[in-house]
Formats: sequence, structure tokens, C-alpha cells
Amino acid sequence: MHLFLIYTVDGITNGMVYAAVALALVMIWRATRIINYAQGAMAMFTTYIALIVIRHGAPYWLGFVVALATGLVIGAVTERVLVRPVESRPPLNAVILSLGVLILLEAIAPMLFGGQTQSFPVPVSNTDLLVGGTSLDISPFALFTIGAVLIAMLLLFLVFQRTTLGLRMRAAAFNPEIARILGIRVGRMLTLGWGLAALLGALAGMLAAPSVYLYPSNMDEVLVFGFTGAIIGGLESPVGAVAGAVGVGLALSYVSGYVGSDLAPLGGFAILIVVLMLRPQGLFSFGRQRQV
Amino acid sequence: MLEISDLTVAYGGVIALENVSLSVPEGSITAVLGANGAGKTTLVRTISGLIKPRHGSVMLGTQQLVGRSPEAIARLGVGHVPEGHGIVSELTVDENLRLGGLWRRDRADQRVAIEEAYELFPPLRVRRAVHASNLSGGERQMLSIGRAMVARPTALLLDEPSLGLAGGLLAQIMQRLVALVTERKLSVLLIEQNARSALSVADQAVVLSLGKVELRDRADRLAGDDALRHAYLGF
Repeated sequence: MHLFLIYTVDGITNGMVYAAVALALVMIWRATRIINYAQGAMAMFTTYIALIVIRHGAPYWLGFVVALATGLVIGAVTERVLVRPVESRPPLNAVILSLGVLILLEAIAPMLFGGQTQSFPVPVSNTDLLVGGTSLDISPFALFTIGAVLIAMLLLFLVFQRTTLGLRMRAAAFNPEIARILGIRVGRMLTLGWGLAALLGALAGMLAAPSVYLYPSNMDEVLVFGFTGAIIGGLESPVGAVAGAVGVGLALSYVSGYVGSDLAPLGGFAILIVVLMLRPQGLFSFGRQRQV
Repeated sequence: MLEISDLTVAYGGVIALENVSLSVPEGSITAVLGANGAGKTTLVRTISGLIKPRHGSVMLGTQQLVGRSPEAIARLGVGHVPEGHGIVSELTVDENLRLGGLWRRDRADQRVAIEEAYELFPPLRVRRAVHASNLSGGERQMLSIGRAMVARPTALLLDEPSLGLAGGLLAQIMQRLVALVTERKLSVLLIEQNARSALSVADQAVVLSLGKVELRDRADRLAGDDALRHAYLGF
């Protein structure tokens, strides 16, 4: 029973990181109908930049802010420069483009940052909290991880639902042509959408790096698990993506705890394949089939 | 005044509009009639910038619209009520109305304009928090027109507002529209397949056939001339 609790806490913590990636994928999918396979690689890139800032003696938090800001810029520039030209083309072009960006970033990273695995600092302790001699089975960093993703989600929710900027972004995503004839600058909204999604990815990168370490393909698995969560959630639904991703985190944690940690990544792929075979439209969406 | 001159549009090699000229004076309605495929929707989509013409000009007052983006054209005062309503069904009625004037700087007047839209079409007020996907056809049309009016346009393009509406409801909506046109000095371009309904509210009418202006006349004269009606409008 105690082990179950430990695995559950672990699963939720990891699941929240996958949820940030899943949510980023959903935001981009809803805005531009593209699966951004480079989401993880972009996060790897921004995490490296944070590491450089921190290695130069700056406090963790400055590195944190720099990573998120760089994410915003990388996402916005990617949309404006690379994605915009393929937006009116067949969907396959966009798929190849985002795979291309993934390969490019993972190829450039070793040249810029070195290819060896690096450890990554945590802002708060990584060991479980003790209260009166008994362990609470959760570390301050796990709490920070869960809290940071929750806050990011809450902020995004408020921006999208409660501000006129969010209303513009939603209209641009739901129906770009109608948005344009109503005077909304759809291009800018898409650029901003990609920027915000990459910012969220950058957050995931910062939260994942202390446990998965930092190397050019360190986010590959996180991306697959986030993607699985987003697919389970139906790709259209932010709530579904978060629920799906936390579910994946829990499932992987139980597999790795009860069966063997080597099997966890395999478990992730198994879930993805089963969901794509049985319910490609996701558990949280209705009707309308999707091409993957 | 909305003035279209010599407008030619082609899709690939196929000519959709050929040297179309027409003008819509302030405070009046010009009906554009014609069969399916005559180029009616192409005409409104070109005016609002969604289609780039091969040549020709579209002037709104002293502003040239050709070459501008749809969002810029909307901001210059062209309201477009697209074919099939074009409401954003994922958003609520109120959000759809707000969308109409989000680009405007004058936030106080924006609230007034939304209030006016609710007064224009009271059924919308009761449904304000409802997702637009739950609206009836008539309510969608009201929402689409109301949303266009929120931007306080000087020209209004209506693409087949009669589509899917019962006659009584259509007449009601049209009546409100006519009142608006004189009150706001709107230049209205009314695209219709339903010629009878369009001619009853329009001041002048243009008949398009295979992308060319086949006939233009005062609406009442066209409606009253049996031979013309039979030949061009089929009723």
C-alpha cells in the first residue's frame, strides 16, 4: 500500500510534465492543425540555454525565466518563418516540416552545447519531505513541478477564456476565415499561439531535465508520452490532454514500479498504439475521425 | 458609397467574374441576383479580400480595397455576413457578437454597439450565454448580421441571408435591415438566389450570369416587368 502511494505520487508528478507537453501539442493542433513533433526538441534547446545561464553563475530562477522567454521566441519564429509557408499546403508538408525541425534541433544541439549527458539543477530539494520523522513521499521539487504546471494551465485558461486577446486567439483557431473578415489579424494570433505553446514546452523541459538529464534527445520520450496523453484526450480538448497525460504518467509509474523500470517506455508506446488502433479520435472527443 | 469597377476574377484559367461594375450608394440596397455559379459569392468574397481579383477596383468612399487583406478591409468598414451565416459555433452568442468589433479602439462604444445588436434582434439576448452551435437557423442569421453591425460598418455584404430561413422570419429580419440601412446610411450589397425576397427590399438590382452583368435596373421596375422576371429570374 505504501509502495502504491509512492508510485502514485511519482506518476502524477511525471504526468504533469507530460501534461504540459500534451497541452502545448493541443494548442498548436487547434490553432494550425499541425502536430508539432519538434515540441520536445524545442524544449531541449531552451533547457540548454537555461543551463548555460545558470552555469555562468546566474540564479536558477533567471535561467528558468530565460528558458520560458526563449521558448516563446523560438515558437513564434518557427510559426512565422517555417510554418506559415506550409499552412495552406497539404497536411503532409507540415508533418515533414515539424519532423525536419526536430532532426535539425537535435543535430545542432551537440555542436552548440556538446553531446554528453549533463545533470541539471533543481531550485528546491529533490528528496522527500519529512514531517516528524515520517516521510511524506513527496519532494519539494515534485510539489514545485505539480504547482508550476497547474499555475501555467490556470494562467492559460484565464488568458483564453477571460481576455479579449484569448477570444481573438480562439476565433482565429476555430475559424480563421471568419476571424479575418471580422478584422482579427489571424497570422499574429497563430504566431502568439505557437509562442505560448513553446513556452509551455520550455516549462516541461525545465521540469523534466533534473530526472531525465540533459542531452540532445532527452525530451524524445517525454514528447511521446505527452503525445500519447494528447491523443487519449482527443487532441482537441485541453482538459482531455491533461487528464490523458496524467493517466499515462500513472500507468508508466505503476508499470515501472510493479513490473520493471525497463518496461516503462515500452508501456508508453503500447498505450499509444492501442489507443490509435481502438479509438483514434481519443477518449474525450466525439464523432469526427482524424487522420494521423 | 461602394464602387466596383471592371472587376475580373479567375480561378486558375476559369473566369468567375468578368469586368463587373456596379455601385452601391449610401443608404441603399443593391441586390445581386443570378443562378448558382453566376459568380455572386465570388463577388462578395473578392470585395472582402478573401479572393484576389485579376484586375479591377473596389472603392469604399475614397479607399481602394483591392490589394488589402481581409482584416484590413474589415477595419475600413466592410461588414461581411458570409454564406451559411459564418458564426463561430464553438463560441457563445455573446462572444460571437464581441468578435465583431474586437479591433475597435473605442471600448465604451463597443459595449453600446453590442447592446444595439441585442435590441435589433431581441431573441439573441435570451440566448447570449448559449453556444452558437445550439442556435436555430434564424437565430444564426440574426447573430451573423448583428455581429457585422457591431463593427459599425459603412458597407454591408449579405451573402444569401435567406438560405434555410422560413419566409416569415426572413421578412422580419429584412424589415429590420431596411430600417438600419436608412438610419445608418449603409451601402448594402445583397446577394440572393431568392429574387422575390431580395427585390422586395432592394433599391436597385443587378443580374449576374456566368460572371457577367446581364442586366441592371431599379428593383421595383424589375419586379414589375413580367417579361424580364420570367427571362432572368424565373418567377
